[in-house]
Amino acid sequence: MHKLNCILSNSVRSACQQVAGSFNAGGSICGTSGLQRAVSSSAVRLQEDASVSATPGKISKDFSHLPPMPGQDSVLRWAGKKYEELPIAHIKATYNNTHVQVTDCEGQFMVRTSCGTEGFKNVKKSTPIAAQTAGISAAAKATAVGVTFVRVLVKGLGPGRLSAIKGLTMGGLEVVSITDNTPVPHNGCRPRKARRI
Amino acid sequence: MANHLRFVARTVMVQEGNIDAAYKALNRVLSVDGIIETVKRKRYYEKPCRRRQRENYENCKRIYHSEMARKISFISRTQRQDPWVGS
Repeated sequence: MHKLNCILSNSVRSACQQVAGSFNAGGSICGTSGLQRAVSSSAVRLQEDASVSATPGKISKDFSHLPPMPGQDSVLRWAGKKYEELPIAHIKATYNNTHVQVTDCEGQFMVRTSCGTEGFKNVKKSTPIAAQTAGISAAAKATAVGVTFVRVLVKGLGPGRLSAIKGLTMGGLEVVSITDNTPVPHNGCRPRKARRI
Repeated sequence: MANHLRFVARTVMVQEGNIDAAYKALNRVLSVDGIIETVKRKRYYEKPCRRRQRENYENCKRIYHSEMARKISFISRTQRQDPWVGS
């Protein structure tokens, strides 16, 4: 099972690197939509992001939207650390609140803040401004511990999704990459009944 | 996503601190994969009868839009060779 996953991920990775290579060579945006549909026909979980090229004038060196793979050795280093060793900032954006927790690469807990710990109550916790203040305070506490570069893991679709990341950068942390970790059940538990308003 | 390939799928690198562009790219990828609408739909349970109605409606809408686009592109082809050359 694990071998099958590895083989599948390798094949998908190589296919997508070819796709990315053709993107970088061509540089045109009109071809992306067709190729994106072809890429998304594979499984959702093992899927690579199709690299969308920004305006061609802005790409410098070889910046790719894909992250460095765990198997390959990439040249990129942030504060002397490789991509796998950077600390992680978990942002859980629910519909009523936003939690921000910074951990290191193994998962050892470092900093935790949320809109509630900032002093907001009830409905004010589910606002982007509260999420921004939570991000700022989390960044302040993290820099006190000694963290500069961080990769962000976002979970949930809530009002504080983007503003929490913005708060992290405003507080002084450098964001290296953004990952979306929203839990998508493949028809697992039955959610609550539909609201009739 | 838990532990399978944690940082490989659904990941976007940030270039020169430009989080807005990165977030937009991430949103674009997620909506193309249909993850955002799936999450919104699964927030509340959708009964099978409602689900069948919705699938039917989406199929009809898709057929209608594709046919209309075909018709419009056909009608807007104004520069054509003259089929009755010589007369």
